[in-house]
This record gives sequence, structure tokens and C-alpha cells, in this order.
Amino acid sequence: MGRKTLKKKTNRVYFLLLFPVLCGLFVSPVFSQQPAVSDQRKLALYQSAMCEGIEEYAPLNEAIVFSISLGKVYCFTFFEPVPQKTWIFHNYYFQDRLVAKAKLVIKPPSWKTYSSIQLREPDKGPWRVEVTDSGGRTFKVLRFSITD
Amino acid sequence: MLNTFIPFLAGIGWQDIVDIVINGYIIFRLYIIFRGTNAFRVLIGILLLWFFQRVAASLGLIVTSWAIQAITAVAAIIIIVVFRNEIRSVLQAKNLKTLLWGFPHKHLLTPIEIIIESAFELAKRHVGALIILPGKEDLKETVQSGIAWDGIVSIEMIMSIFWHDNPVHDGAIIIEGDRITEVSVILPLSHRKNLPSHYGTRHRAALGLAENSDALVLLTSEERGTILAAKKGVIHTIRNQEKLKQILEEHTGLAQEPKEFYKKEKFEIILAALVSILIVISIWFSFFKGMETWTTLQTPIDYRNLDPKVEILETSVNSVKLNLSGSGPLIKSLRPEQVMVRIDLGKALVGNNTFVIDKKNVTLPPGIKLNRVDPAEIKVLLDLPIKNELPVQVNWTGKLPAHLILTRATLDPDKVALLGRKEAFENISTVYTEKVWLDKIRSSGSLTAALKIVPAALKLDPGSKTQVTIKFEVRERLPGAK
Repeated sequence: MGRKTLKKKTNRVYFLLLFPVLCGLFVSPVFSQQPAVSDQRKLALYQSAMCEGIEEYAPLNEAIVFSISLGKVYCFTFFEPVPQKTWIFHNYYFQDRLVAKAKLVIKPPSWKTYSSIQLREPDKGPWRVEVTDSGGRTFKVLRFSITD
Repeated sequence: MLNTFIPFLAGIGWQDIVDIVINGYIIFRLYIIFRGTNAFRVLIGILLLWFFQRVAASLGLIVTSWAIQAITAVAAIIIIVVFRNEIRSVLQAKNLKTLLWGFPHKHLLTPIEIIIESAFELAKRHVGALIILPGKEDLKETVQSGIAWDGIVSIEMIMSIFWHDNPVHDGAIIIEGDRITEVSVILPLSHRKNLPSHYGTRHRAALGLAENSDALVLLTSEERGTILAAKKGVIHTIRNQEKLKQILEEHTGLAQEPKEFYKKEKFEIILAALVSILIVISIWFSFFKGMETWTTLQTPIDYRNLDPKVEILETSVNSVKLNLSGSGPLIKSLRPEQVMVRIDLGKALVGNNTFVIDKKNVTLPPGIKLNRVDPAEIKVLLDLPIKNELPVQVNWTGKLPAHLILTRATLDPDKVALLGRKEAFENISTVYTEKVWLDKIRSSGSLTAALKIVPAALKLDPGSKTQVTIKFEVRERLPGAK
């Protein structure tokens, strides 16, 4: 029952993946020359925010309260460093109930990525997004509200 | 027969026995104090009326029952009004010991010889006299009170009382035991018309009292110098001392040996005690054990002595059905608050506990018997509450002006500790505030909001604040997005 609900809710989420913008800084020859160093570094969340949109690979109008009239709300995350290709998750909770889970791929050396959720009238209330790695470790909890 | 009698005996509690003994003793004491008085005889009459009223009611004779009930009620008032003096004198005369446990002898030995000698001396000297020796009946309502005397009987005393020049010589004297208790007593006159012509007022007075009581009245005639004895409406002349002695002994009960007299009195007291107990037993039986009526009562369970650190997580039932029995009036007057079912959780352990509900757990009013409990067994699951610290989140609501963006809010405290059982925390990871309205926000600032603790199974730790301070920042919206 819980899984079915989760799938349903997950279907409501439209995931947009942002490709690396800093690839030029980490060209493959350099990256390949330092495999031992990059392996030792730990995946870290450098920046995260809830926002009204994404512009130029950056969050637009970061906020903690969003009007339902916006229609969409975005969760932006920037990981640096990224030692290896992996997955992270944006888990959306509405009043302590998991309603959506976005699985996002991130790649070395750093990666910006975001997910969004479509808003409907019944979604008004307190929300949170838990940013976790594939092992369930929580990087950050972003709390926000959907209002009139 | 035996099968019903043994459970009946087993059902008698110590309260029942104490009840019977106390009330039996009260009836017995009333008998001891009031025996021989007119009030007591009327009281017996009232009790008989009450008995007939019950019989009439049980036979369905409604009007008769009402009539007797009314008569009984009126008679009860009459007894108090009419015999008030007698009741007062009985209660006043007796001290606490006499009222509670004393056994006053009904008769003291009367100095018969002195009375005989006095009577013949009075007759010889032609001194008119009236000597009253009361029987079992009380005379207070029959005679008009004279003057209290309380002197030990002697020939000189009697002679001097009836001497012509003595102010109290007119009237009768009352001898109780070895004492002259009253002098100058006025007696009721007989209205009989067949009396000899030479009988004067003194004769009519002696006969009048003999007709209205069981007292013995001795009379000495002033004119003829004769002695007469009047009892039970009959008056006859006494010729010699032997005859008077015989009459006096018969009247005072001293015809028997004193030992036998006391033996008889002792027997009477024991009989009265047994009758009193029997009366109470029959009343108790008719009220409490007779005509058993059954009823069922749904009663909530009161869990007691629970360790403050432990919480009741689950119970198989919260109330039980009690099957009770008792006499009709008791069952009818039974109120739910009089019945309690208590479970002592003092020795219960964390986890599943099973309790059997029986008589020990059920409190009932006296006379009500517990027959069955449904369910007789209940399960109680106990758990230790845990303390959990949860983050606080603002529950923003309303509409922020379109040109503003709420960018940041810091809470103080940003976490609060909650107490509750483990299961209650399963679906809870955040404590929300009550709704915080955005409509009036125009610039950065701060406000306070109360915390909303749900579910109710969770409680805020006493050390945590009940409300939070929210410092918020707003800024103008950047163009580019909605």
C-alpha cells in the first residue's frame, strides 16, 4: 500500500537533470592523472536551496515560503567534491509523509543538480526535502511551506 | 436443600454478622429500657401494624396497605406526643450505663412485713391511707403526679405521712422496691355504680386505679378501721395479716424464692435478647438475602498504582460486565458510582500482563453479591515512555505580499524534546508550530508561535519551551521568475 502511494506520488514529480557546468575545469587528462587523490575525497554537499526556479544553473529566488500560484517549486543542490559517479536522492515530505523521491545522478569532479515538484491545492502546508546519498546518509534537510 | 444452604452460609460476610449483632443489641436495649411502660406496649402495637401493612402490600391489598401505613405513621407521632412524659422520665432517670449496658432489676425486694404492720397499725388507729404497689405497667400516665419522696419504707415513715396534720396525708403513696417514691398522688376515681354505700372517695380512688392498671392498692378506712386491697378491678377486705402477706407476695412475685425470682428475670432477659436477634435476622434476611434479584452492570476499569515511568500501551478491554445479585430494593437503589473495578498495576511489568478480575478487584455496596465478571481476564500492555528530540518547523499559512520573498527563518529553540511511547514516535519526525500567518508581514522581524503536539500520546518534555521565537528575513523578489 505504502509503495503504491509512493510510486503514485513519485510520478507527480518531474525531474530535470542539469549537466555539469564546470566540466572545463576538470578536463579528463587532469582527472585521470589524480585518481588516487579523488578516491580519498568524500562526497559533500556544497550548496542547497529551495527556490522558485533555476537560472543559469543557479537557484532563482531562494525562499522558505512558496505560493501555490507558482505551480512548481525547485530543490537545488550542488555537490563538491564528487569522488565518483553516484546517485543522490531528494526525498520530499509533506507533513512527515514521504510523497516523492527523486533519484539524481551526480558525477565527478562536482555536480549541480535539481528536482522539482508540481504543486496542487491540497499541497498547502509544511514540507521538507531530505537530501541523502545512496546509503541513506542525510546531507541536509530543507524546510519550506506552500501557502496561498 | 443442602446445596443452597451451604453457598448461602458462605455468602454471609463479617459485615452481615456485625450488622445483625448491632441492630439486635439496639432492639434489646430498647426493650430493657422501656419494658413495663405504656409507650412500649403501644410500640409493639405499631410494629404489629407495620407487619400487617407489609402482609397487605405483599398480597396486593393496595388501599388496605395505604390505610395501615397512614395509621402507623400517625400512631408513631401519637406515641411521641402522648407518652412524651413517660419517654422523657425513662431517658432522664437513666444514666449512660443503664442506657447502653446496664440491667436494672425490674423489682427490688419489697419490705412486705413493714407494709403489713404499717397497714394494720393505720387501720387500728383509724387513719385513712392509700398505698400503691405498681405492677408491671407504668403508672405515670394513669395517676396525677404527686410529690417526689424517695424515702426508705418504715412503719414510722408511713404512719407520719398519713397522719392527719401532715400536709401530704391526702392522697396515695407509691412504694417501689424498698422506697416510697411519691406521696400525695391523685388517683382516677371508679365510676362503678354497684359499690356499697359506705364506700367513699378513697375506695373509689383505690378501685379506679385497680381498674386502669395492674397495680395493687392497699386502703385503710378512716371510719371503719378496715384494710382493703384492690387489684384488677376487684376490691376485698383483708381480715388478717396472713391474707395480706399472701396478696403482697403474689403481687410482688416474692411468693417464689428470691433466687427463683432472679432466675426468672434472667430467663426473661435472655429470651428478649434472642427475640431481638431473631427479629433483626428476619429483617436482614428479607431485605438482603430474600428475593434475590439479578442485574448486569458495565463498569469501567480503574487502573491503579501505575509506575509513573511506565505507560499503559494497550488494554484488552476498558470496562467489564459485572453480573450482580441482591435483594430487589438494594439492586434498585444501586448506582453505577457505587461499583468499582480496580486493577493494581503496582507489580505489573513492562510488556504483556494478564489479570484475573474477581471479588478482590470489585468494590460493591453491602448486600450486593458478585456472581460473574465478563471478561474475567484482561490483558494490559505496559511500555516505558521514551524521550525524543525533534526539530521544530514553522507552519506558515496565508499569503505573503507578491513582491516579497521569505528567505530565511531561525527558530529558538529549533528542537524540542517529546515524551511518549516508542510507537507514538514512529510517524513523527517534526514538531510543527500552530499556523503562523504571513498576510501582515511587510519586513524582516520576529514573532512567537505555540507548538502543536500531535498525536496526543506524545507530551512535551517538562524542560522544553511551549512556544518558539521565529526570526525571519524577507526581501524584494528578483525579476525573472514568477
